[in-house]
Amino acid sequence: MNVTYNWLKEFVDFDETPDELAALLTMLGLEVETMEKLGEGFDDVVVALVEEKRQHPNADKLSVCRVNNGTEILDVVCGAQNFSQGDTVVLAQIGAVLPGDFKIKKSKIRGEESCGMLCSEKELGLAEESAGIIVLPPAIAPLGTPIFAALGRKDTLFEIGLTPNRSDCLSALGIARDIAAKLGSKLKYSKSALVEGTQTVESLIGVTIESPELCPRYAARHISGCTIAPSPEWLIKRLNSIGIRSINNVVDVTNLIMMELGQPLHAFDCDRLSGKRIVVRTAGEGELFTTLDNQQHILTVADLVICDAERPVALAGVMGGLNSEIENTTTSILLESAFFKPSAIRKTSKRLGLHTESSHRFERGIDIDNVSRALDRAAYLIVELAGGVAAQGSIDVYPGEYVRPAIMFRPVKANELIGINLERDVILDILTRLECQVSASTDGAVEVIPPFYRIDIEREIDLIEEIARLNGYDKIPATMPIARVVSDRPSRHQEIEKSVRDLLVNNGMTEVINFSFTAPDAAVKLLLKEDDPRRLAIKLANPLVDEQSVMKTTLLPGLLETVARNMNFRSLDLKLFEMRRVYLPGVGDDMPREPLCIVGALSGSRDGDGWSRPTEPVDFFDAKGIVETILDYLDIGGVSWRTESPESYFHPGKSCRVFAGRDCIGSVGELHPSVQKNFEIEKPVFCFELDFEKLVTLARTKKTIAAPSRFPDSSRDIAMLIPEELAAVKIIDCIKAEKAKEIEHVQIFDVYRGKGVPEGFKSIAVRIRYRSYERTLTEEEITALHKKIITNLVDKLQVTLR
Amino acid sequence: MREKLEQLRNGALQAIATASAVEQLQEIRVCLLGRKGELTALMKGLGSLPTDERPIVGQLVNTVRDEIESALTAAIESAQAELIADRLQSERVDISLPGRRPLKGTKHPVSLVIEEICSIFAGLGFSVAEGPEIEHDWYNFEALNFPPEHPARDMQDTFFVENNLLLRTHTSPVQIRTMLKQKPPVRIIAPGTVYRCDSDATHSPMFHQIEGLMVDSKVTFGDLKGILTVFTNQLFGQKTGVRLRPSYFPFTEPSAEVDIACVICGGKGCRVCKNSGWLEILGAGMVDPEVYRHVQYDAENISGFAFGMGIERIAMLKYGISDMRLLFENDVRFLRQF
Repeated sequence: MNVTYNWLKEFVDFDETPDELAALLTMLGLEVETMEKLGEGFDDVVVALVEEKRQHPNADKLSVCRVNNGTEILDVVCGAQNFSQGDTVVLAQIGAVLPGDFKIKKSKIRGEESCGMLCSEKELGLAEESAGIIVLPPAIAPLGTPIFAALGRKDTLFEIGLTPNRSDCLSALGIARDIAAKLGSKLKYSKSALVEGTQTVESLIGVTIESPELCPRYAARHISGCTIAPSPEWLIKRLNSIGIRSINNVVDVTNLIMMELGQPLHAFDCDRLSGKRIVVRTAGEGELFTTLDNQQHILTVADLVICDAERPVALAGVMGGLNSEIENTTTSILLESAFFKPSAIRKTSKRLGLHTESSHRFERGIDIDNVSRALDRAAYLIVELAGGVAAQGSIDVYPGEYVRPAIMFRPVKANELIGINLERDVILDILTRLECQVSASTDGAVEVIPPFYRIDIEREIDLIEEIARLNGYDKIPATMPIARVVSDRPSRHQEIEKSVRDLLVNNGMTEVINFSFTAPDAAVKLLLKEDDPRRLAIKLANPLVDEQSVMKTTLLPGLLETVARNMNFRSLDLKLFEMRRVYLPGVGDDMPREPLCIVGALSGSRDGDGWSRPTEPVDFFDAKGIVETILDYLDIGGVSWRTESPESYFHPGKSCRVFAGRDCIGSVGELHPSVQKNFEIEKPVFCFELDFEKLVTLARTKKTIAAPSRFPDSSRDIAMLIPEELAAVKIIDCIKAEKAKEIEHVQIFDVYRGKGVPEGFKSIAVRIRYRSYERTLTEEEITALHKKIITNLVDKLQVTLR
Repeated sequence: MREKLEQLRNGALQAIATASAVEQLQEIRVCLLGRKGELTALMKGLGSLPTDERPIVGQLVNTVRDEIESALTAAIESAQAELIADRLQSERVDISLPGRRPLKGTKHPVSLVIEEICSIFAGLGFSVAEGPEIEHDWYNFEALNFPPEHPARDMQDTFFVENNLLLRTHTSPVQIRTMLKQKPPVRIIAPGTVYRCDSDATHSPMFHQIEGLMVDSKVTFGDLKGILTVFTNQLFGQKTGVRLRPSYFPFTEPSAEVDIACVICGGKGCRVCKNSGWLEILGAGMVDPEVYRHVQYDAENISGFAFGMGIERIAMLKYGISDMRLLFENDVRFLRQF
């Protein structure tokens, strides 16, 4: 809502400067979003007096003046002829900048010094053409007064961001009303002494409301014999000052009244109304209508239309029709001022995508009590500006007059809830200033009837808010609540989430956050099989763009896009993870599921470049290692790594699924080369995925800790050749299968292929550490056990010892 | 015997004096005092002496042995000290070379801010609550007093999913879910992801909010001001002024926009605060009785406040980030700075 400082002053007296007023409005909940000083920057253009005027010695057409600006007398050379000694003029002083970036400097004109310029209206941008300089009425303002202040043109435009509840402030009057309530000053209504003609309105026009549900009140006036013409300057300037373009005198008046009083009006060309009558009804299903912006709309039975005897002539509360709009030749006018049901206007405006100043007000609710006042004032102004005669009386169809129910209000409750301690009288005075009717009562609750324009005030709590607002939020003391103690330890899920995030970060992984939606073809880019449940993504009904139109069923697409983007910026060493929800359709009527997932991606060198160790690229085992670290941290047992049925987006030979017992809890692998290509990633990427919800279920929070043995250990190594197909883990399993409690630790410490190892084989070296909890083991005991283990390996796995 | 001892003593002391290395000295010890050493041999010869001389010579042997022993100990200590001094003199590392450190990752700034805010509120007795992002219209709007066809719904551009589901436009539905599950007192903070179909330099279709809710028997609007003052002071530093301005949210009344004194210019006015000296950081208010009605709380006997703030906005202010899009581009050169 736009309103200017001077306009507000027409409705209410106040001493606040524009800056102070802006602060006052903001603290009333009418947030001043921007403030534009009109006439700003002309402070060096001032009222001055020509004390002496003489002929320029070197130029016939110039004069040299001695000009008084209130503080000093300056010499100014001037070319205009339309003034004389003793005139009050407009002086642009040195330093002033006039329209067109014209800077006023000290200069010499034909040998005479000139300290400024006497201005014309054109030079100040006040007129298109001007014959000479401005000669002001004598003593218009003290010498030295900036010209816009002297002319009363200085003003400040406030752009106010209104919340949807304050429809009462969608007008200058409404905002002034709130200022008056805050300051306790009186509101001044604009005068409109309409002189009516002798012909009665009923003899000229008629109004029928067929849908009183949707149109509880419809008032109209008739004006004949008027002349459509450009608006006078004051009206154009007022509308321009709040950003509205002038159309013609009649349309401008309707717009002015809407901005001044908050009542949207519509002027019909009465001669174009068939039967000279108005029928308010709902549209027929599929009825066609062309609004005055020349757009054709297909209407439904939910749309309210204003019709003449035959056809719709306006979309009620939204926009007038092309068939009845005011034209330059119009002479008789039917002026409409009505109240429409907010939700009906909103439905129509939303469905047709037609949001107008009018619909904006109707859908938020206007003041039903203001309908006829606005109509009368508009008729008065139209007759003033366009001439003609207003018919006697107005039509006002208002079948079920609105009565506002009284609200039970307890001043004590207001104090309690706000946390203040105002006297009862002070509280009731605030309500009175808000034009509420407060019933007399000496104790406890009072009955309050709010004014019609405050449709947002319906309950006691609404009145309590008004007390807090008018008294001032800044007057509420900041206190600490008195509260009961409750147990608030974070849930297991939250604790594990935080610790896993910490763990990943402390292991060199950087967290990313991508959008929860992705492109529909992400599943295709990941090579997901046709029957993969992750292809069943939840779709958005109104996505912004196609790339963000389905909810993610896997976090991989976003992470891979992040990898590609970073590689494009030459960040090639990447260790990224994302810990976010995925969105899976609910079964039947169930809500969608939103399990938390973890994905990671590693690429480039393992430890970054450095002087102290060789640069090695990351591989499958770095990704697997991160997963192991997490599983180990959460003490998840029974973990197995399985190569059957690999994920479609992973390299089948360099990937696996991770199981804990029978539960698949994730996967690890090198990105499939085709997927890598689909996501335009230049280097190999190693990824892991974990189902966080399963981790939470499986995590063991109770650990059993064993005291360490106090006896010495002894380690023995075994080097062997095994076929490539034999998984290394089988060696470990075979050793552990011995179940000797003297085996403290088994570790693979070397895997070798190449010279000395036949094709199709790999060399594996294992170190076994033996130790007893009870005593120092003898050489003989260890050798016997170790031999047994070697025999097992040779017998069961056919390994070849090296 | 005496001469032999004298000779041995002199020879030993001389050898000790000329020896410089620790190993040499150890060798001397073995040669003289060891099991097969010279002095040991002499001592074995004591038995062959006349009985009356034995104690005297015996004492002399002990004296010589002590003398040699202490000379050796002193020489070894000094040789070791010299050795250490030599090492300290000669061994050097170029300490200017970078250290060999384990790689460390970083948390996303959104996570960092959420953690910090949750921890501040944990200190005030608020526990963390969560809720679904794909939400029912009823929880996201209706129960929060946004009736269907209400203009307030325009304040939040909504992404819709079929079956009356939508992407939640704020974390406020968690209030409803919490109150339906639990009777007062309630003290929760609900961080989460929210969505609005709006995208430009200052709006992202996905962003994060933190919701707070406190309901107890006698909570006041002044208490809301108190809690938010404590919170902003902890988040932004001790002297952050807080200003509440009247505003409107369907689910709170009275409602307020909460401004803090600009953390960039300290309230003097700058580009970030558009010269107002204030920064809007959250919306808040007393829970509207209509909301209590939807969760079957008795509005007459309890009261409470709710507030909500945008995490990205706070992260941008805290870290001086000017473009919100940086937060979702995930450029590691940006993320590694946190």
